[in-house]
Amino acid sequence: MAVRISATRTFSSTCRAEVALSRAKAEEAKPRPQQPYLSIRNLTKRFEKFAALDNVDLDIAEGEFVSILGPSGCGKTTLLRAVAGLDVQTSGTVHQAGRDISNLPVSGRDFGIVFQSYALFPNLTIAANVGYGLTSAGYKRQEIEKRVTELLNLVGLADQAKKYPAQLSGGQQQRVALARALALSPGLLLLDEPLSALDARVRARLRGEIRDLQRRLGITTIMVTHDQEEALTMSDRVVVMSKGRIEQIGTPDEIYGRPASAFVADFVGRMNFIPGNLLSDSMVEVKGAKLDFAEPVGLGRGSAVTVCIRPEDVVLHRGNGSDPNRLDAQIGVMEFVGNHFSTVLHAENTNLNISADFSMNDVREFGLASGKTVPIRLPPDRLRVFPNPPSEA
Amino acid sequence: MTAVAPTALAPVRQKLSADEVLMRIGVVLVGCFLLLAVVLPIWALLKKAFEDKSGNFVGLANIEQFFATPSLATSAMNSVFIALVSTVLCVGLAFVYAYGLMRTCLPGRGFFRIVSQIPLLAPSLLPAISLVYLFGNQGFATWLLFGHSIYGPIGIVIGEVFWTFPHALIIVTTALAIADARHFEAAQSLKASEWRIFMTVTLPGIRYGLISATFVVFVLVITDFGVPKVIGEQYNVLATDIYKQVIGQQNFQMGAVVGLVLLTPAVIAFFIDRIAQRRQTALLSARAVPLIPKPNKTVDWAFFAICSVIAAMIIIVLAVAFIASIAKFWPYDLTPSLKNYNFDMMDGGGWESYRNSLTMSALTAVIGTAVIFTGAYLLEKTTRFSAPRSIVRFLTLLPLAVPGLVLGLGFIFFFNDKDNPLNFIYGTMAILVLCTIGHFYSVAHLTATTALKQIDPEFETVSSSLKVPIYKTFLFVTLPVCLPAVLEIAMYLFVNAMTTVSAVVFLYSPKTTLASIAVLNMDDAGDVAPAAAMAIMIFMTSAVVRILYTIATGSFLRRAQAWRRR
Repeated sequence: MAVRISATRTFSSTCRAEVALSRAKAEEAKPRPQQPYLSIRNLTKRFEKFAALDNVDLDIAEGEFVSILGPSGCGKTTLLRAVAGLDVQTSGTVHQAGRDISNLPVSGRDFGIVFQSYALFPNLTIAANVGYGLTSAGYKRQEIEKRVTELLNLVGLADQAKKYPAQLSGGQQQRVALARALALSPGLLLLDEPLSALDARVRARLRGEIRDLQRRLGITTIMVTHDQEEALTMSDRVVVMSKGRIEQIGTPDEIYGRPASAFVADFVGRMNFIPGNLLSDSMVEVKGAKLDFAEPVGLGRGSAVTVCIRPEDVVLHRGNGSDPNRLDAQIGVMEFVGNHFSTVLHAENTNLNISADFSMNDVREFGLASGKTVPIRLPPDRLRVFPNPPSEA
Repeated sequence: MTAVAPTALAPVRQKLSADEVLMRIGVVLVGCFLLLAVVLPIWALLKKAFEDKSGNFVGLANIEQFFATPSLATSAMNSVFIALVSTVLCVGLAFVYAYGLMRTCLPGRGFFRIVSQIPLLAPSLLPAISLVYLFGNQGFATWLLFGHSIYGPIGIVIGEVFWTFPHALIIVTTALAIADARHFEAAQSLKASEWRIFMTVTLPGIRYGLISATFVVFVLVITDFGVPKVIGEQYNVLATDIYKQVIGQQNFQMGAVVGLVLLTPAVIAFFIDRIAQRRQTALLSARAVPLIPKPNKTVDWAFFAICSVIAAMIIIVLAVAFIASIAKFWPYDLTPSLKNYNFDMMDGGGWESYRNSLTMSALTAVIGTAVIFTGAYLLEKTTRFSAPRSIVRFLTLLPLAVPGLVLGLGFIFFFNDKDNPLNFIYGTMAILVLCTIGHFYSVAHLTATTALKQIDPEFETVSSSLKVPIYKTFLFVTLPVCLPAVLEIAMYLFVNAMTTVSAVVFLYSPKTTLASIAVLNMDDAGDVAPAAAMAIMIFMTSAVVRILYTIATGSFLRRAQAWRRR
């Protein structure tokens, strides 16, 4: 029971671990080439007056795995479909490997695509599905067979070649779709919500498999997803989109740890949003509490701002020193969510309420309980301050 | 927003791939086909209605003359009267029957279902002939009419109800199939009485289906030619008038006006039906829980009794025609004999007309299925090109609004025109096939579209990203996946081509007489038993095709589509 809850609720901690891991891996294996493999400039897509894409610029390096993350309607799928030539942009350019592909039809471009629905041909065997593009490209039968076997080995389904798609599980079908997309060795792999139709366990496993495969082949990949966990764990870089624009481009830990806007802070992970006033370049007043923060925002004294801190960044204060941002807080209702407790803290002598997460160890060690008052600290380098009102980007 | 270089703002025009060019040409060709098979003939008819005999435009003069002619005005009143009465009876009976099938646990559901489809397999002439045998001057049940005559409104109404029953039943059954069990459970938990549930949940849930059925039946009846021709005698309706005006008096202008008058209710019904169907499907949310009827002895047996009576009537009508056709001399000598099947001894084209019908139906099924299914595919899958696509899409639905009689008349006006370069197909098998495909285009097209919408929309994307030409994906994926729908379309076209009378009655030539026309002509000549025999031939042929279709789809799903199994 506890395990299942944690799988859904404590994503932040597991996520961070995976992010750290992926960054470590990325650093050891990433000499970035100068010339971007895919270069998107001023991409705009209009439907009547509504702009589904509004002047989007994006460069993707060769071999990079980039996720496009955002809520539904943010334009992420529109962006992918423009890159594929499925719904061509109103204006703007797309260059792939130095070639202008802005106005080429789908068949004139060089990509493999995997859809959420798999789109496997139901009346063809797995082998025939994977070899579908090879047959038309005029390869000899033996060559096709060899390549199909190779691809099926790659996705670990060599023994399923003679079956039909309906006889495979969802996860297996998605791997077949992946093998089919890779058959012609395309320069670019497009993944459109590839894991959304799968259940949570399969999704988590396939995440790793796709990422591994992508690394081994070194194929430039763009994945569209609304699932932040997917984006943060799989990608070299994440592009967060909202209302047709790019909010932030960054590595997963940049996106999570240093969100560039209130939107990103809100969309990725959980976050406290507290209205406040700027006292100086490094101090803000929130609901009667004065807090230091590390990163200057470049706004004048007295400016209205929003102060953000993640619940897991609220820490119990150890020792007696009067460190900055130390507060005495009363613990509200404690909610058990598996591997940690979630609660709301009320800072004494202020109107400040903050959501906070405490580990089981903390709870045991400090004897945390509802109604108890404990010293807490809001680390200045963990506080994010955004102009107020949160920019409606 | 940052300033953007003007060049970057230039709108992007995507280049066309070979596939897209091919598909656009295809869309245009389908449009041309429909233009030829539906639009231009109808246009020719409309033009004719406003012209005098020498082809001068005379405005509304013909229409004024129509209303000034007492016999025609009477026919119009008769037509409306017959259509109203038949519609009320037919939809009422269809509702009860459909309710029994869908919402009760009556025994023998499968049997009742099959019986209800019998009228679809025979021309509308068959029930009329049977009624003559049953209630005519020498009928054995004439006393049931208490002195009234079957020749006239009574006979027409009964015949029409028989013939249109399955059409209404299909629509009402579909409406009843869409039901959310939770609504019924909610009503029951609120202690609503059965009657109140019926009035507040059941009826509102199918109201659009009932509206739709009402209009479909009304139009079928008002434009039907077969039943009033056989049993109407002195009781004139517009559908028979149009025939008399055109074939009898060669008064094409007046025929065109009558056609126009018949077209009007059909067009109105078309639009109301479209709206009703859209609302009906919107009633079912994706999360609806299907309603599974619970057994209830009283209700189940009551509906069993009612449905049995209706089914018995259908079977009797069919059986009487059959027995009359194989009896030496109905009703006096019932010794079995095949003398009535010796069609070559009668007027009407003999066995040749039956063979013609088979040829015509086969051609219609093969060519029609190819054109319609490919057309539906092109309309679904062609990218962009939206204006031509929506025009052609509208044209595919147009035949629904055009009664067969009107279309046939339009064909005469259009193709019989000396200036038409296609004049040479007049009087050939080709014009019969073209007209029949045009006549039944819409339903087949909708079947194809429904099937195509159910398959993954990304097949084409995947194949173009794999550089596979679109026609290969169409042939090797789409077609096999949609084979059940393709067979259904072929079967539908074949059966309708076998049974249709209304459109082709204007278009056959001595070399291309058809079985259904032979029924008409033999009945006209007084050879009623051979007419019944030919009608039975049509019925049996349609039934065989229908059975073959069922077997084919069944075995197909088992063998060729092994992939459907898990």
